[in-house]
Amino acid sequence: MAHETEHTTHHPSFNQYVLIAIILFAITIVEFLLIWDGAGIVDHLGASKIPLLVFLSAVKFAIVIMFYMHLKFDNRLLGSIFIAGLLLAFLVGIALMGLFVGFGGGQRSYAALNAVPYEEHHEADEETTTSTETTTPPVAAGPVTFDISAKGEELAFDTTSISADSGAEVTITFTNPASFNQHNLVIVAAGDKDLVAADGIPAGADNNYVQPGDSRVIANTKLLAAGTSGEVTFTAPAPGAYQFVCTFPGHNFTMFGDFTVN
Amino acid sequence: MAHAAEHEYTTTGLSHRKMLMWVFLGSDCLFFGSLIATYMVYRGQSLVGPYPIDIIDVPLTTVSTFVLLMSSFAMVQALAATNADNKKATVIWLLATAALGAVFIGFQIYEFNAFKNEGLTLGGNLFGASFFTLTGFHGAHVTLGIIWLVAIAILAAKGRVGSKNALDVELLGLYWHFVDIVWIVIFTLLYLIGGFDVGPVIPGG
Repeated sequence: MAHETEHTTHHPSFNQYVLIAIILFAITIVEFLLIWDGAGIVDHLGASKIPLLVFLSAVKFAIVIMFYMHLKFDNRLLGSIFIAGLLLAFLVGIALMGLFVGFGGGQRSYAALNAVPYEEHHEADEETTTSTETTTPPVAAGPVTFDISAKGEELAFDTTSISADSGAEVTITFTNPASFNQHNLVIVAAGDKDLVAADGIPAGADNNYVQPGDSRVIANTKLLAAGTSGEVTFTAPAPGAYQFVCTFPGHNFTMFGDFTVN
Repeated sequence: MAHAAEHEYTTTGLSHRKMLMWVFLGSDCLFFGSLIATYMVYRGQSLVGPYPIDIIDVPLTTVSTFVLLMSSFAMVQALAATNADNKKATVIWLLATAALGAVFIGFQIYEFNAFKNEGLTLGGNLFGASFFTLTGFHGAHVTLGIIWLVAIAILAAKGRVGSKNALDVELLGLYWHFVDIVWIVIFTLLYLIGGFDVGPVIPGG
């Protein structure tokens, strides 16, 4: 039996393999031209480019498994095993898309409201560490004040680092001299700024772009309109690295500074 | 080994090793299918950047896709040379396949590094998490294939690979082509279709 299979398994010739390679290349070029701005086809296609690209990729997929992987010439059982796995994978994909995105391509409401960004998966651990740190009684120290201002029209603070002793009463006066941009100043542990800012987006301007009850926020000023200033007073937390950041959407990437507690 | 396999009795008349390879590939479909489905579910859900439109370089990846397709062509030539008992050609085509695979990995390392510099990390946002997990596991498959290719090339150079045990090369080829077709799917979904995604889907927005 095995001997028989050996003989029925004939492979395409060198020229046929070259032809197959050229076809695969050609399809890839067509795919690229379909989405490349320079070719100008993409503007005419609109949403119909998606089924077209999926079809072309399925053609390439089929050519490779039929000819390069010899399924066209090999025993059908082998192909069936593979197709069964492929089919199951498709079903898993459809099931997941159905569960999280909803059939009919409608709103991603469930996932949009409930999906948790990857990094927040570790949040629980971080919170535990922070809470153990804060249980150490802070050493009382004299009050300190800082004047921080936004750097003109730029999305940056004029101050890049401040420091205070743990337990000290810290007062920060924040001035926003910009002619248009709104800013705030939020104190968080180093590394939390982008997450806090991301969670502040759905909270909106009414909540100063800070999630209400966010335990990662140590202190924050109100959202300051252009040309105004505000003040925030808080007790310096346990010694460690902290940051001050503007959580107005997008500002957190460039507008922040270091706050060291000794 | 192939000699032994020819005398091996199996109820299907097919080589156990070949059957096992196809079962593995079928199960690997599920593995990648789940990762691809995860990417598609999380598509457009990142609340912080960078987003695909900011960093995905389609022309660059089209070139690396060409390289991987070319390596599949080299792989079929390696099997043809093995069946023809052409030792020199077998070694050359196997090493050519490995080299093209290595070029593909080089592109991926360059891409990952460029993305990292742009702020896309595994833990930064959903896009980064699902993108790096999927393409990273694919890259790991390619890397494993390269090691396998080099190992068989060394055996071939020692004259221990020929038409009698061509199955060794055929199984390697099946694995290599599978890695290629997975990339065909990833390239279409993550680059050609998903590479132009902008911004997040904000709840209520």
